[in-house]
Amino acid sequence: MFVRTLNLKSILTATAFLATGATAVSAHVTLENQLAPVASTYKAVFRVGHGCEGKPTIKIRVQIPEGVIAVKPQPKPGWTVAKVKGPYDKAYDYYGTPTSEGVKEIVWSGGSLPDDEYDEFVLRAYLTGDLVAGSTLYFPIVQECPDGAVERWIEIPAAGKSADDYEQPAPGVKLQPKE
Amino acid sequence: MSAISDGVKRTIVAALVLVAVLLAAGDAFAHASLIRSSPADGAVLATAPSSFALTFSEPTSPLSLKLVGPDGSARVLDKSVLRDATIDIVAPTGLDKGSYVLSWRVVSEDGHPVGGSAVFSIGAPSARPSTTAIELIDWPIRSGIWLAKIITYAALFIGIGGVFFQSWIGDRSASVGRLCTGLIIAGLAAVSLSVGFQGLDALGLGLANIARPTVWSVGFSTSLGNLASLAIAAMVTALVAMLSRGRIARPLSLIALALVGIALASSGHASAAQPQWLTRPAVFLHGVGIAFWAGALVPLASALASRPSESTNVLRRFSKLAPWFVLPLIAAGVLLAFVQVRALDALWTTAYGNILVVKLALLVPLFALAVVNRLWLTKPAQGGEARATMRLRRSVGFELVLIVLIFAIAGLWRFTPPPRALAEAAAVPAVLHIHSDKAMADLEITPGKAGPVRASIAIMTGDFGPLDAKAVTLVLSNPDVGIEAIRRPAQISADGVWSVEGLNLPVPGIWKARIDILISDFELVKLEDKIELRP
Repeated sequence: MFVRTLNLKSILTATAFLATGATAVSAHVTLENQLAPVASTYKAVFRVGHGCEGKPTIKIRVQIPEGVIAVKPQPKPGWTVAKVKGPYDKAYDYYGTPTSEGVKEIVWSGGSLPDDEYDEFVLRAYLTGDLVAGSTLYFPIVQECPDGAVERWIEIPAAGKSADDYEQPAPGVKLQPKE
Repeated sequence: MSAISDGVKRTIVAALVLVAVLLAAGDAFAHASLIRSSPADGAVLATAPSSFALTFSEPTSPLSLKLVGPDGSARVLDKSVLRDATIDIVAPTGLDKGSYVLSWRVVSEDGHPVGGSAVFSIGAPSARPSTTAIELIDWPIRSGIWLAKIITYAALFIGIGGVFFQSWIGDRSASVGRLCTGLIIAGLAAVSLSVGFQGLDALGLGLANIARPTVWSVGFSTSLGNLASLAIAAMVTALVAMLSRGRIARPLSLIALALVGIALASSGHASAAQPQWLTRPAVFLHGVGIAFWAGALVPLASALASRPSESTNVLRRFSKLAPWFVLPLIAAGVLLAFVQVRALDALWTTAYGNILVVKLALLVPLFALAVVNRLWLTKPAQGGEARATMRLRRSVGFELVLIVLIFAIAGLWRFTPPPRALAEAAAVPAVLHIHSDKAMADLEITPGKAGPVRASIAIMTGDFGPLDAKAVTLVLSNPDVGIEAIRRPAQISADGVWSVEGLNLPVPGIWKARIDILISDFELVKLEDKIELRP
């Protein structure tokens, strides 16, 4: 029975979800999964629940942080996706293959998401083992709207501060130890 | 599994999941952002509004709504109605003219409070009267400076002017020569002493310290040092001209007269005014003109009194030359008054203006006498009419009294900054330098006082390199009086400096200034510090 499978672990998981969900309350563009182990593949779901000051969103730019490789955006009907490639600061190990260049920015454009509608933008990436468990990995995002209106979710909290201390924090994922 | 029953566990999990889902759903909601305000930010209204309205991008509820008035006092706006995403606020009645800050703090559906401000004005933006600095006045030193000034003026104008008159126009009477010599010698003493007084005044020391060498060197180092040196040169030249009585008397007295103008142009409020190419020659012409006119009075009176027959030629020569000196004197005086006073109301609102009004009031009878002398008395006196000569002499004597009074009044200007200088002092910007390892900024708010201002922001990298930013935003708030962030994008000018025009910061005191520098699309640097605005 479904009910029988519930145990203490499931309560803890729900509590953890509650805790992480609570920290994300203040952010505008947020990540759906805010916990991820390093040296694993991560599905980043960017949740966009608003435009810029009432205007529709027509472009979403996501900056790929250093240490995140093998980035693949999920195609989105009505939107064109562009991958801006470039060299990494160093070579990262991708299942034994040294990788020194790749996607540094993903741009979704061509669509129009009204201010009063919600949508998600998805990419999959590999979080390399060079990333430090316990730290938070931030994906700075620029959200563009018509007439030059723009929202920049690009603030990365300084040490000792949280995203709540900022007006326009970048969405982040808390890194967990390698599984 | 036995401690907690399945039913209880199921309830707990369901509750936790529900709460989590609700909170996570909150992610989808944005911070509210202000779409428009009424009155709009920066608006100037003819009359006081009966209501305010704030429209946000989504429904909000107000946490705190305040109206900060021109006097800096904050009023809580507690009468508000929510209408969709708009908050309608009942405005307090009896709002005076001036600038107001409508400051709001609201909570949007994501539970995150956001704040901001809209500045508007009723009638016109508040221009705050500049407060006068309170300083202790050392009356003996003030009197000393003033007396020395009057004696110096008397020596420069009546003394040196008299020497010039005697050598170029006539009346070589010894008594007038003695009076001029006496005035010039007194002037030498007075102008020398004024250097010491100036030093005491500059250092804020009492009269007892007059013997200290530093007092004199400090006094001399001010612009009065130039004036004193040139005035002494003028006086000595005039004395030599007076004593020589020979061929060189004429050129020497002309040089002395020119030196009077140069000395005056070297110092004082008027010479310090911009544009100097205009003000300095104006002061020169004004000074030379006064010396010609004032210097003529004693010899004229003497000539009329003692040798009426001879005085005919003297009067004729004086009348012929007078317009060449008096007209530039008046023109220069009018020009300098305009440069110094700027606005008409400064005539009665500032001490400098008051003195000018008194001086002008004394000039009216002086010019009236001069006109009467020129038009009605000169001709009959030249014709040898005894009664006209008598009246002309009395009139010239009265002119002399008026001129000395004008010297005394003009001497008071030493203690009053002209409205021009007051305006310049008020225009001094408030400055702030913020430095971080990533970037630094020099913020300048001009003028550095509450009211309508403009801000300029020069930015550089943390190691003094050029910083090519994509955008710069200035955010100002005043938590002390409850003014939430006033956010303005800066515009870049040709010289690479960012500026924000048309700002209105209606309250003096400590403001929090934040400069958001967008270095690249994904990199934002925020610099924050405090800046003080004068009242």
